[in-house]
Amino acid sequence: MAKIKINGKEIEVEAGRNLVDVAKENGFDIPHYCYHPGLSIAGQCRMCVVEQEGNPKLQVACNMRCAEGLSVITNSAKVEEAVQANLEFHLINHPIDCPICDQAGECGLQDYYMKHGKYDSQMREHKVLKEKAVDLGEKIVLDKERCILCSRCVRFTNEVSKTGDLAIFNRGDRSVIGTINDRPMTGNYQVNTVDICPVGALTSKDFRFEQRVWFLDSLESVCSGCSKGCNVYVHHKNEKHIYRLKPRFNPSINEWWMCDEGRLTYKDSNYDRRVTASQLRNLEMPAEEALQVWAADLKTLLAMEQADGIGVWITPHETNEGLEAIFSLLKKEFQIQKFFGPDAERIQKEDAPADGFLLRTDPYPNTHGFLKKVKEFGIQLRGLKDLEDQAQKGSITHLILIVPESEKNADELQNLSLRLHPDLFVVVISPSLSVCQLFSQGLWLPSLTHYEKVGSVFNHAGLKQNLNRGLNMFKEAHSLEFWMEGLHRAYRNPLDSKQVSKMEMRK
Amino acid sequence: MNFWAKWQRRSYLISLFSGLATTGKHFLKNLVGLGDRQTIQYPEERRNYSKRFMGVHVLTKKTSGDIACTACMLCATNCPAECIHIVAAESPHPEIEKYPAVYEIDLMRCVFCGYCEEACPVDAVRMGRDYEYAELSERNFVVGIDYLMNRPQLEGRNFSLFHEPQKLINQKVLNQKKAS
Repeated sequence: MAKIKINGKEIEVEAGRNLVDVAKENGFDIPHYCYHPGLSIAGQCRMCVVEQEGNPKLQVACNMRCAEGLSVITNSAKVEEAVQANLEFHLINHPIDCPICDQAGECGLQDYYMKHGKYDSQMREHKVLKEKAVDLGEKIVLDKERCILCSRCVRFTNEVSKTGDLAIFNRGDRSVIGTINDRPMTGNYQVNTVDICPVGALTSKDFRFEQRVWFLDSLESVCSGCSKGCNVYVHHKNEKHIYRLKPRFNPSINEWWMCDEGRLTYKDSNYDRRVTASQLRNLEMPAEEALQVWAADLKTLLAMEQADGIGVWITPHETNEGLEAIFSLLKKEFQIQKFFGPDAERIQKEDAPADGFLLRTDPYPNTHGFLKKVKEFGIQLRGLKDLEDQAQKGSITHLILIVPESEKNADELQNLSLRLHPDLFVVVISPSLSVCQLFSQGLWLPSLTHYEKVGSVFNHAGLKQNLNRGLNMFKEAHSLEFWMEGLHRAYRNPLDSKQVSKMEMRK
Repeated sequence: MNFWAKWQRRSYLISLFSGLATTGKHFLKNLVGLGDRQTIQYPEERRNYSKRFMGVHVLTKKTSGDIACTACMLCATNCPAECIHIVAAESPHPEIEKYPAVYEIDLMRCVFCGYCEEACPVDAVRMGRDYEYAELSERNFVVGIDYLMNRPQLEGRNFSLFHEPQKLINQKVLNQKKAS
């Protein structure tokens, strides 16, 4: 531990920590562009200058470690003047095309210009023009004019993603960042460079011109792409449309980063890929009626003691709470024995980093919790092959498919949908339209996608993460807990003929 | 109060006749001095509105004829009635990056406050002078780029000041008038 002083305030910190971080934690904002806690120190931008006691010259705070007796001043007139002058230098060749820049609203230049701007330009020279809208592969667009050469992206590709794509070329005011011969960028971690870019030089193609950032609200969530469970912010507009995912800092899982595959998982939550109403054979109906239909069919089978004819397909994509609801009703209450699912045990055993960094081979966000619940309820899981055989032979007559949102599932279940026995009644509980469309003769119940769920998941290391609040995108889509509770209610209190005739009257 | 005064007040005769006198005065005035009357014969005759009158919006053009709007959405951000809907896209023009693929204003929602005009950094949207808009269906009041930029009333006078100095515009309008 070391005692340091910032602006006269005594703070006790761990010795050796970076001064910018410590100042931020204690409410002193030191402006900086090139410094990033996850990257090495460059000292390029000179925005973080502070006055150090006993040193006649200003020093950069990003290259300063906390040690006993360190005393700095961050808000003196001398510091402010230096910061203003440095910001002026950054803006000399910046095109200020904020109206067409995707970064506007979360831009470092805009933020610091409001705080430390010298509002009258002293420049008489013309701005240096550079290339705009350079295509760097399928994920990134580079604008060389907007770049302030902080070299964060260069250090990221060298140190974190280790692809070494980007570099700074040329000297003086001709220096630009780029790839060699504008070659496309490679790897699964390109979009992180967009996140760490303090200006709009690197922008994501997926988000390009989609929405202005000040319209977006953010929600804390966990990525559903793999078993890593990276923490994310879900950026959405009015809870109606998700526009992008951004990594959320978590030192024990993903630090500041996330992979590009995970970033695209939000697409399955949006309207164009969703089932928006409960349907039976393409006939829309209220949730209550759909539940009555389902419960009636289940009841006939269970009353005739044909629980063997009921099959349930389930994946480790659901939250612990959803799994609990399903197993306690279907297994405990209804005594259904035939549970099918992917071989979670094998998947967990073989789980390994897929590309050496964050992405893992296990595609499910809750394999760990799933296996726990399966053991708890004493369930024998069978594979997809077995399900296909039984569905074809007709040894099951009622199939409950609980399928998550990702498009992969549609390919997985394609084979099954082609081999269904004509007598088989299929109930699909899924948010995904493409999955539901495979089983057009079944009962569709719209459920929630990962970013709408409330509950908890275990990641690959057994770390429990809570999804505290989900989005509220559709009023017709409900959680698994809701469907199970509704099924139980409809099962216990079936409609009598009076209520049915009332319902028909209402139509 | 005596009976006479009471009767006078209760019968409203005085106010009745004074009111009739006003009406009669205007009747006679209109009958004799035709030029001074307050009513105007609307479709043939139009009122002169102030120069600051804010009517249906105008989208301006660059000199090349392309839309001046860059789809920065500051107008939509500022709009208190939330009546502006913009979808930005990559421009087919190689020199332009971003342009509005859709720019719609719901005239029924619009309160004609002019904040969009104030917010625009490139003089791309202005409050026009047209106040006559009648439609048969509500949905026709959602007007797009076609109407806002190219309606005949504008006579091609909607060039953005941001992209072209006023002198050039004046010259251009003069040339157009000469040509026509």
